[in-house]
Amino acid sequence: MLKDVFRYSMKVLTEKRFRAVLTIIGIAIGPLALVMMTSTVRGYAGFIEKSILALGQNTVVMLPSEKYRLSKSDIDYIKGLEEVDDAEPFYSTQGYIQTPEGRKNVFLYAVDPSMLLRAIGGLEIELGELPQDVETTYCVIGHSIAYSVGTGTKIYDVGDVITVNMVEVLSGGRVNVRRISIRVKGVFKEFGGAAFVSPDQSIFLPAKSGTTLLNMKEISGVFIIAKDPSLVDALTRKLRSVYQDKVTVVAFQQIARTVSSVTAALDFIVFSASLSAFAVAVAGTASTMITSVIERTREIGVLKALGFTDRQVVLMILTEAIIMSLIGGAIGITLGTLGAHLLASRGLSIAAGSSRVDIVANPEITIETLITTVLITIMVGIVGGTLPAYRAAKIPPAVALRYE
Amino acid sequence: MTSSEDAIMQLRDVWKAYRVGDIITWALRGINLSVLRGDFISIMGPSGSGKTTLLNVLGLLDRPTKGKVYVDGLDVSTVSPDELARIRNRKIGFVFQQFNLVARMSVYENIELSLIPARVPAARRREMILRALKSAGGEVEWLTKKPTQLSGGQQQRVAIARALVNNPEIILADEPTGNLDRASASVVLRTFLKLNRGGQTIIMVTHNPEVANCTNKIYLISDGVITGIRTPSRGECIALEGNV
Repeated sequence: MLKDVFRYSMKVLTEKRFRAVLTIIGIAIGPLALVMMTSTVRGYAGFIEKSILALGQNTVVMLPSEKYRLSKSDIDYIKGLEEVDDAEPFYSTQGYIQTPEGRKNVFLYAVDPSMLLRAIGGLEIELGELPQDVETTYCVIGHSIAYSVGTGTKIYDVGDVITVNMVEVLSGGRVNVRRISIRVKGVFKEFGGAAFVSPDQSIFLPAKSGTTLLNMKEISGVFIIAKDPSLVDALTRKLRSVYQDKVTVVAFQQIARTVSSVTAALDFIVFSASLSAFAVAVAGTASTMITSVIERTREIGVLKALGFTDRQVVLMILTEAIIMSLIGGAIGITLGTLGAHLLASRGLSIAAGSSRVDIVANPEITIETLITTVLITIMVGIVGGTLPAYRAAKIPPAVALRYE
Repeated sequence: MTSSEDAIMQLRDVWKAYRVGDIITWALRGINLSVLRGDFISIMGPSGSGKTTLLNVLGLLDRPTKGKVYVDGLDVSTVSPDELARIRNRKIGFVFQQFNLVARMSVYENIELSLIPARVPAARRREMILRALKSAGGEVEWLTKKPTQLSGGQQQRVAIARALVNNPEIILADEPTGNLDRASASVVLRTFLKLNRGGQTIIMVTHNPEVANCTNKIYLISDGVITGIRTPSRGECIALEGNV
């Protein structure tokens, strides 16, 4: 019976194929929007969350405000807190290097090497080693500095010297470009895009280089490692309470939670927006099916005269609607998947203060998303087809046979 | 309650009213009719006399406002719509004036439509369809054609095949020659006569005396009432060669 109903429905749809195609296009917009938007948003959200968490769930960063200077006594106080396992200052600035591919912007961090590896989880040495604390002119460079982004060929190797240009604004507004030369002692493995800190595009020096080689007079911030991720909230509360507005306390774990709640809200908005496309599809399907039923009133009368029950008539009309939905769904999901990859490949820029990180994340197309999309699309067919099907089933056969 | 055992179909004091706004029109008024197995009867009357309404009630397409309808002894006035559909499928075959073939489907698929609600396995269908088409005077070459590629007479023979394919107890034909020329009408009537000789019960509505004269008994209906029963004059049957 189902095979016959399917065959009959396909005949009806192919007879009025232009109308069916237009309806299918209308239906396809819903799954297209749902798959494309949710998978892209989820892809980027997941990427950002993962990147933030990769920086360390125990890690807290404290940055001084413009009016406050961090000192050694601050570091000692923080180290003495019961929630804190370790704390080290860091110096950070920006510069640029000249490569065969042209000018490349880099971030420079002067920080205790062991603290660096603890604060940024997942950071691993690919070549060479970390410089000793006293090797103030040695550095470890990020993967994007060591290798050409375009071709993947090596630009800097262990032992090479990198010249970094740093723009300094002097008193009176004069601008001076200061050049420093650093020898590469190690290269980090590719870390991938990371939010707020981008190890691939950074040069890491020992902590002492901050005041000597980089000529920085003020501590840029403090990396703090909590004893346990569960203590991070208490630690940040304590630091904020003690330092008030003198510092900004950033916990990657908290950022990840905030990002998670924001992206969940965004996900809901995207999902709701996609549902409106499905609502339009329901109206389109209902309109098509009602027209089809009216046109076939006499035929439905004949089917009933031949012995088709009301339920079988409903099944036939609903099958037509569901077939259109499934075709529309398949087209929508396919185009949505392609669209998501296209959209995601354009990348996203995240600006944090003066730094900017470009990230490219793959869309997150999950089985759950696809099943949800297919189920909603089938519902479009069922909801859109129910009223016309019910109407068709309830036409008295004698009346239907008289219909002109 | 059951009816006479010889009657395949029986109407007892059947009334049928239609309401249009506040106006009630009685299309059938106290019809009593018994159809015996192997009967070939015609119902004749002018337009609006209630012929088609009577045929719809006989075919279980419409329920009477009052009275009883028996099919094979079963009172069908109380059965569910689904059961009515099943009885229509198993026991009744319909032939319409407009043929009512589905234009998008082939002749094969049109005839097959009757087998779908009967849930006949696909493997048995071709044989049944071929047998029905042959009984209706059709040709195998038509099976792949669309109805619009056939003449009116050929289409009506396909419609007869569709009515026959389930081996129904009774065939109800509503003005089956109304849309046909004289020669095609003659062929269709000859088909009916041949089927009737094979034992098929046929009830036919017509306003054409030359068609009614081919049957065994003519019921005259006027204003919803059977006004008389006439013996046909076979010499004036359209199916006889000399009359074509």
